Amino acid sequence: MSTIETATTSSHAAPGTKGETIVSFDNVWKRYSGKDILAGANLKILRGEVLCVLGPSGTGKSVTLRHINGLTQPDDGVVQVFGEAIAGLSEEELAPIRRRVAMLFQGGALFDSMNVEQNIAFPVTEHTDKSPDEVAAIVSEKLTMVGLPGIQRKMPSELSGGMRKRVALARSIALEPEIILYDEPTTGLDPVSSEKIAQLIVDLNVRLQTTSVVVTHDVVTARTVSDRVAFLYQGRFQFIGSFEEATRSGHPILQDYFRAMGFPCGTGVYQAVKGV
Amino acid sequence: MTQPQPSATAIFYRNLRWLKFVDRFGRKGSQILEYIGGLAELLGEAFTGCFTRPFYSTEVLAQMDELGVKSLSITGITALFTGMVLALQTAYSLEAFGGKQFVGRVVALSLVRELGPVLTALMVGGRVGSGITAELGSMTVTEQVDALRSMAISPVRRLVVPRLIATIVMMPVLTAIADVLGILGGLGIAVLELQMTAQDYITSIWQQLVISDILSGLAKTLFFGLEIAAIGCYNGLHVEGGAASVGQATTRTVVFASIFVLVSDFFLTKLFLAI
Repeated sequence: MSTIETATTSSHAAPGTKGETIVSFDNVWKRYSGKDILAGANLKILRGEVLCVLGPSGTGKSVTLRHINGLTQPDDGVVQVFGEAIAGLSEEELAPIRRRVAMLFQGGALFDSMNVEQNIAFPVTEHTDKSPDEVAAIVSEKLTMVGLPGIQRKMPSELSGGMRKRVALARSIALEPEIILYDEPTTGLDPVSSEKIAQLIVDLNVRLQTTSVVVTHDVVTARTVSDRVAFLYQGRFQFIGSFEEATRSGHPILQDYFRAMGFPCGTGVYQAVKGV
Repeated sequence: MTQPQPSATAIFYRNLRWLKFVDRFGRKGSQILEYIGGLAELLGEAFTGCFTRPFYSTEVLAQMDELGVKSLSITGITALFTGMVLALQTAYSLEAFGGKQFVGRVVALSLVRELGPVLTALMVGGRVGSGITAELGSMTVTEQVDALRSMAISPVRRLVVPRLIATIVMMPVLTAIADVLGILGGLGIAVLELQMTAQDYITSIWQQLVISDILSGLAKTLFFGLEIAAIGCYNGLHVEGGAASVGQATTRTVVFASIFVLVSDFFLTKLFLAI
């Protein structure tokens, strides 16, 4: 059985209906050091889509992401994940949700003290009763999926930035989550590595039938991966729609942002391209 | 002629210096209370983690090796030389009164009741406490702690509980070894420098030392271990920012752990003397 088939057939127990709302933000407020980072943010994330959260640095994109798995709690408003309001839940009450939501951190956040195999096996051994052989098979399968087979024995310090992110991605998908949260997945990488990661995001979204939320300020990545983009500015989502619509929207702040990123707007030249 | 009443603004400015002082004092006080509250909260969570699943027994053993066994040389050398110095100083002080034969008991009693536990705790506080903060601090700033949380794994159970148990278990062991080494150091000086026989030195100790001396010394170290590990973990998990903050937190751990050990030593000594 090929890796792709294994991944597809072993997918989630309760996949749900594609297109239903899986995460929703309803008038969410978050304040840090006297500044409103989220000021009444509203957003609906649909099952099966790749949603890119775009916006200038420091506008609260990562904070938005961290609200989805409860790493950050809102000051006000409602965040619903799988139909359950998660604000105010304790760490233990959040555990069942967190098992279904994986997160890829900006620097990878691999455990330095463990090698690649132990890193990827870690969530599996923590949450399942699988035998060592089964766990080893999962590790090998996930490493193949991210295009890094056979590096089980390497330590994180021996890997390049791009490889580290891919190993972290392999760890994120080890428990076959329903939602994957990507925090700046291509920041700090060279264009080739960025492209690889972007392709991987799209690829995994299709293969594992996950919902992906990608926080980025990289417009190229957003164009490659997104079904929809949500533009966050001054604490609110100013625009939600496809990448193509975003480039044509005529929204002044969005246009300024695209121009600053080297994307002239309103010409219709830049089409949303999904390289599946 | 009546003096005009000073305005409220004038009164305010006249007392501004005092108000500032009270304000600063209040802020500092609330920071200290917040810190102690945070420590208590962490300990409460860790306590629950000690008695409920999942347990990380392999991690506990690894930490016992890392925090305990690897501290043996530093605590051993400290105790050995302290015992030697104590023997020299005691002989010097007691010689005038013809009390050189009491060197053994003074050395043993000082070491077992006080210096063994406290010096070991200060050494462990410096080495282990700072090590814990540096490790957990860098895990925090590189989002590894958040990664644990995002995987539905409790950082307290996985990181704090093993370090807490390892430090609490290893502190009495390290202290007991330190006590023995210190007494042997004293014996070496007694025999080589003070022209005493080993027999006299040991008999003098044997006549004086009782089991409660040893137990009260060792019991204190359980609390010291708890304080050191809790402070180390708390400071590590509460690092905000980058590498510089990890350095500052590490320094803070050494300072706080030393102060906590010395202050609690006084109260624990009072308590054990009263029992």
